[in-house]
Amino acid sequence: MTTAASFLDVQGLSKSFGAEKVLEDATFRLAERQTLSVLGRSGCGKTTLLKLLAGLHEPDGGSILRRGADITRVPVERRDVVYLYQEPLLFPHLSVFDNVAFGLRLRHVEADRVQKDVTHMLESLDLLDQGDKAPHQLSGGQRQRVSFGRALIVSPSLLLLDEPFSSLDAETRTQMQVLFKRVAALYAITAIFVTHDLKEALIVGDAMATIRSGRLTAYGSKQAFVDDPESGVGSEVDFWESLKGGRYGNDQPV
Amino acid sequence: MLATVVAGLSVLPFLVLALLSVAGPWEFPDLLPTRLRFDRWTAVLSGDSALAPCLGLSLLVSTIVALLATSAGFVTARAVADHPRRRLLMLLAYLPFAASPVILGVCLLYVYIRLGLVATVAGVVLSHTIFAYAFAVVFWVPFWNPEKLAYEDLVRTLGGTRGHAYRHVILPLSKEPVLVCFLQTFLISWFQYGLTLLVGGGKVDTLPLRVYAYVGEANLGYAAVASSLLLLPPLVLSWLNRRVIGRLA
Repeated sequence: MTTAASFLDVQGLSKSFGAEKVLEDATFRLAERQTLSVLGRSGCGKTTLLKLLAGLHEPDGGSILRRGADITRVPVERRDVVYLYQEPLLFPHLSVFDNVAFGLRLRHVEADRVQKDVTHMLESLDLLDQGDKAPHQLSGGQRQRVSFGRALIVSPSLLLLDEPFSSLDAETRTQMQVLFKRVAALYAITAIFVTHDLKEALIVGDAMATIRSGRLTAYGSKQAFVDDPESGVGSEVDFWESLKGGRYGNDQPV
Repeated sequence: MLATVVAGLSVLPFLVLALLSVAGPWEFPDLLPTRLRFDRWTAVLSGDSALAPCLGLSLLVSTIVALLATSAGFVTARAVADHPRRRLLMLLAYLPFAASPVILGVCLLYVYIRLGLVATVAGVVLSHTIFAYAFAVVFWVPFWNPEKLAYEDLVRTLGGTRGHAYRHVILPLSKEPVLVCFLQTFLISWFQYGLTLLVGGGKVDTLPLRVYAYVGEANLGYAAVASSLLLLPPLVLSWLNRRVIGRLA
């Protein structure tokens, strides 16, 4: 998948719920400080893949290695992998500041350092003036940023994002994609970003994979993904080309 | 205007009850008692009346039942919420409601006799708890929606244990329903008559039993005092509940 040394090495990961095979033999590698975009339709097994990586589901088979160490059976709380849901899931009884500080306080970090780190995080997420607010006082994009901050502040070795922008409007979504790229670079994050949006997958990801009916295909490069007729990039390009050529437009004067 | 009339009619029985509890001689055709007497209340308040221990026992039984049912219902509902056989389990939880408390009592009686729980306070507490627990489970299951379950998982991925998730997120979010469930299960036990009579064998003398006993003796004055006492804790708890919930909101 990448020329850099492998940080995450997933081999033959499988999961069934009853008779239904949700994920079959998922195999891929991910280099450190890279974001892998996983593209797939609803119900194709994307969320199951992330939950297996986070330790929220037990795999039926396969292994997850991080820097060569097997973490397949490591408990969720000791795995150092943060899973971000589609919804921001901010704790409604805590302020923005306390939401971001949550993970640090779980680790009994000193109050002075909590204050400093959270302030810095809020600043880097353009939320410095929102610290005292309750989650319900924020916009959708702001809530998602707080959710990012809460995850990033504990410096997880791996960040898993499950369609985090899908409930946002188009403009906010674009802003969040840009923000994610900036913050990912700033905090040197290794991440797996699941989405059903082709454009978003290409913007956010350094590496690409797709899931269809529980089967994951990892690409050696972004170009390999673009060149694959199954990726949908070709048909997307065709659509916009044809639009430009006027085939879908009504060029007759009204 | 209509609202005032309806409100007046709703309050009227309680006023009559209060009046009956302090009524001296009150015979036809007098519209009101000819004399008021407060000795029944002073006897209760000074602990001289047989009602005082009944009140104490009822408070004890209902408080224990409410504590047990609320906490057990909370934990059970968590297990039911993401159980693969959730629908079947919910059906079982509704069963005690489908049957009346007395039928539940009859079903339990044989086991209670074998366990030596009949005619004991523990037996009455247990029987009330079984009924109130079923209510609590039904009450708590909607609380454990996918969002609450996701909070639990989220806290764990952030490095916390399940205990941290409960202490820092789930319990703070459940304050309001805890109060409501406590009140409801307290009332289920507080007004319980059939189960208490059956399992208590007439030896566990709670307030509802005392009210029926006074009515049976045509002792209207004391029946009114006992009924007033029966109404008092629910009113106080409802008022407290509204105050606390209002503050939490």
